[in-house]
Amino acid sequence: MTTTTTGTGMAVPPPMTGPVTSQRRHPEGRRRVKRGTVVTAIWFVALTAMTLLVLYPLVWVLLASFKPSSEFGLSYGMLAENPTIDNYVKVLEGIGGVPLWRFLVNSLFVAVMSVIGITLSSSMAAYAFARIKFKASGLFFSLMIGTLLLPVHVVLIPQYIIYNKLGLIDTYVPLLLGKFLAAEAFFVFLMVQFIKGLPRDMDEAAKIDGAGHPRVFFSITLPLIKPALVTSSIFAFIWSWNDFLAPLLYLSSPTNYTLPMALRLYNDQSSVSDYGATVAVSMVALLPVLIFFLIFQRFLIQGVATQGLKG
Amino acid sequence: MVIGSITSRDVAKSPASAPRPVSDARRAGEPAPDRNTQRKRLSRREAFAGYGFLLPWMLGFFGLTAIPMVYSLYLAFTDYNLFTAPEWIGIDNFTRMLRDQTLHQSIQITLTYVLVGTPIKLAAALGVALLLNFRDKGSGFFRSAFYAPSLIGASVAIAIVWRALFRESGAVDDGLSFLGIHLGSWIANPSLVLPMMIILGVWQFGAPMVIFLAGLKQVPTELYEAASMDGAGTWRRFVNVTIPMLSPVIFFNLLLEIVHAFQIFGSAYIISNGTGGPAGMTNFYTVYLYKRGFSDLQMGYAAAMAWLLVVVVGVIAFILFKSQKSWVHYGGDNR
Amino acid sequence: MFDIRKRRWIAAAAITAVGALALSGCSGGSGAGAEKTFDPNEKITLNLTWWGNDDRAAKYGEMVDAFEDKYPNITVDTSFMDYPAYWEKRKTEAAGGGLPDVMQFDWTYVSEFGQNGLLAPLDDFYGDEIDVSSIDENVLSAGEVDGKHVAIPVGTNSWALFQNDRLLGELGVDAYPGGGTWDDYNAYLAEVKKAGDGKVWGGTDYTGRIQFFELWLRQQGKSLFDEDNKPAFTKDDLAEFLNMGEKIRSEGLVVPQKKVEEVKPKSGFGSLLATSEASWDNFGAGYMADSGEKSLSLVAPPALPGAEKDLYLKPAMLIAIGAKTKHPEAAAMLTDFLTTTEKSGEVFGASRGIPVTKAASATLQGADADVVKYEESIAGRIGPAPVPPVGYGSLEQKFLDLGNSIGLGAISVDDFVDQFFNEMDVILN
Repeated sequence: MTTTTTGTGMAVPPPMTGPVTSQRRHPEGRRRVKRGTVVTAIWFVALTAMTLLVLYPLVWVLLASFKPSSEFGLSYGMLAENPTIDNYVKVLEGIGGVPLWRFLVNSLFVAVMSVIGITLSSSMAAYAFARIKFKASGLFFSLMIGTLLLPVHVVLIPQYIIYNKLGLIDTYVPLLLGKFLAAEAFFVFLMVQFIKGLPRDMDEAAKIDGAGHPRVFFSITLPLIKPALVTSSIFAFIWSWNDFLAPLLYLSSPTNYTLPMALRLYNDQSSVSDYGATVAVSMVALLPVLIFFLIFQRFLIQGVATQGLKG
Repeated sequence: MVIGSITSRDVAKSPASAPRPVSDARRAGEPAPDRNTQRKRLSRREAFAGYGFLLPWMLGFFGLTAIPMVYSLYLAFTDYNLFTAPEWIGIDNFTRMLRDQTLHQSIQITLTYVLVGTPIKLAAALGVALLLNFRDKGSGFFRSAFYAPSLIGASVAIAIVWRALFRESGAVDDGLSFLGIHLGSWIANPSLVLPMMIILGVWQFGAPMVIFLAGLKQVPTELYEAASMDGAGTWRRFVNVTIPMLSPVIFFNLLLEIVHAFQIFGSAYIISNGTGGPAGMTNFYTVYLYKRGFSDLQMGYAAAMAWLLVVVVGVIAFILFKSQKSWVHYGGDNR
Repeated sequence: MFDIRKRRWIAAAAITAVGALALSGCSGGSGAGAEKTFDPNEKITLNLTWWGNDDRAAKYGEMVDAFEDKYPNITVDTSFMDYPAYWEKRKTEAAGGGLPDVMQFDWTYVSEFGQNGLLAPLDDFYGDEIDVSSIDENVLSAGEVDGKHVAIPVGTNSWALFQNDRLLGELGVDAYPGGGTWDDYNAYLAEVKKAGDGKVWGGTDYTGRIQFFELWLRQQGKSLFDEDNKPAFTKDDLAEFLNMGEKIRSEGLVVPQKKVEEVKPKSGFGSLLATSEASWDNFGAGYMADSGEKSLSLVAPPALPGAEKDLYLKPAMLIAIGAKTKHPEAAAMLTDFLTTTEKSGEVFGASRGIPVTKAASATLQGADADVVKYEESIAGRIGPAPVPPVGYGSLEQKFLDLGNSIGLGAISVDDFVDQFFNEMDVILN
């Protein structure tokens, strides 16, 4: 039985023959290879063109971060007329005596804990919904989907009251507790969909061997939904990184602030807004998540070991 | 609140067309009558495991989510200014919605955003995911590049760059003029602001794209091999293998993108600096809800708006869940 | 009252039944000023919060250090954020029962919070912890709600016309001398428009600002709102005012709204599209940062013939104490330190408006001193300050919004009038 670890060559119109993997080149010869090269070239050009289109605004922001604040809205060009790194110097100084690294560390802590909490709790809940038959399952599932539909703004105040009564204001608990309790239906539902997409054969086989749900969950389901776990980790990290609302409501001390809160402090419409610093700080905030994504997206291409799936 | 009976069990039953694997059929099949006791014991054990696995979620739901939700439902029938106790006013908030013309405009632009933006965004996400999945070598860079716009949060930087791109003689205007289309400034043209917001939404298609990619990675390659051996061409493999195997993920993205599009907030709030302008064209449903709730201190009305949205999107979700039977394929049968 | 309480109780009970915690929110009663027990040896921690940029954070930091030196037993925990976030957080806290001890406050929110008993009455501290002897009674009364002072103004500002003299020099147009009639100002706009040649204009559409509408009403002896917080103007008043805008827009005398949209979040004046624009007189620093100009000048806005007492001094910022503070005396001492002391004048300069105490405003220099001079120059036009009704901030925003929509040609004057009256109906009732 083959252990396929790459999911190459499928699905797209260009006539790649079968699931060509790099290990198993087709023997037919050069014409096929040549055709493959042409297709690859087209593929490459098409993607490059789209990339340029998509990245253009970000490049614009990057270049604009070297503009002095007064140039914004005055000169329309992408390039600064009087380029300066002052924006970055100012941003790196921190705010109100709190150094920038402090915000970065806070954000990193919250983001990493979110990843851990969400992947753990959501995969458990998803397994229950997707693989275990019990009475309340359907009702709970509907309730869970229901939580997706309510705009967050109307529950902010009751939620604040709860955490305030528990004396948890200005701690990270309100930001993280929900993540460890699978309160974000998005992730549970995502994993439900992936688990349901898995064949049951292996579960059944394991059950016949006497394995209970915990063992099936840990040794069969979890490894098989790795793409979903990686995806969830990526989203959990990035969304936590960019979240502004929860830190705003629950954190008070600037030393506890996360990056998005600090990011907004360069913009004071009631007196002076520093647009240069605003743009620069958004670039500084982007860098860590970009690195995170670059690292984690590699796991996306390592497909799943589907050994034994055909039974 | 409970969306009919869209249950996970419905879902598990759904693969209509495809033959079930033997084991699955056995599992779902009717047990013999004399095994009744054993079945009961088994189902009790199942229930035990089910609640066990669901314990964190139940704690979260009943401890953190349900109370605020129920409270907000109560608030929908009250006059509540945040500072004094809510006052019961029956369905006044709902009748007020009927007369609220700002709300009607807001609903109109939100629906347009959902109906136009969601299909484009999903098509872009799926198309690019397929392209990226075509080849692994070198696609890491592209993957990151396509996701990069989704990494940048709702920052003022977005508002600044979007204004620069969509002003008169900005990059977009210049590009289109080159193609012979002269639209001038988008940002200052009330009828072009909504298309601009849709483009901003589509630009951030990274999340559904990554989910599609993950779904594609989970399609067992053996299925393609088998299909090829049966002489299926690329198109037929796409239709007969990729689409069915990806359908749970397509379903997920479809539902979630619809829900998120209805709740568009951050980008509109940032671009319009919280005003919903120009001419109310970024005053999306949730932006308006927020303004009424927090700026005007009419949280009762905001809660009523929120629950109207729950009902509307809930109905859509219900229909989608029911439609699964005919097109979503669970359980990975190996054809 | 009894009824409301009962319903609240039922609600709370229902919620307890659903889950675990009772959600009673809201409003506070007493707390401050009941008994005065400041013990100089007791360890006290106060929360102090403000909105503003990094620059203001540094200034508050300096003040807090000095305060802690003076009162070693008091520790001040600070917290700051940007303006919209600040108010979202304060409102949530107010609803949830957790306002900070000492808060920077905005005039438009004083009634909103004050009327609901969320702010501690400060009169009891006068003469002891808080020394208001050097603050003008008229200025001080801006923090008054229901006969009690609930916030102390730290600075004042007034409506003013900013001008960019450098830009005017380039165009060869004389600066607007200030005052004069609306026709005079329009003539100035026409002159700059001619010289500006489609690149620079004399000003931005002033009919889109509620402050100008208010000014125009006051120049006729009217006002925006009456004592009962009802509109004190008619639809015809508003339409007449807006039609002034129709005229200047159709003649191209002001920066087209299209251009203004493109340079947001900056203003037309801040992005050098206009040689003049009205705003609060202490916003010069923001304009200078936006435009990169070294200096800007201030003149009085135009008026209708025979108008008097049309301008007023508005508290640019205030300091208030949360009603539920555990340390009212210490909070009052901090409030005093931040508002009336010489040190506060030194540190903050005019960044929170022109300081309310003479001693502090006398020390101002440079651009700040210009603002003082401006406020002195308009002394003859200063009348009593109005009290903004609850929800005024929303109405101000709505007015601006509708003004933009007219400028973009999306709505007519009649639409504006209808929509604004509808909104007033919704907000003020």
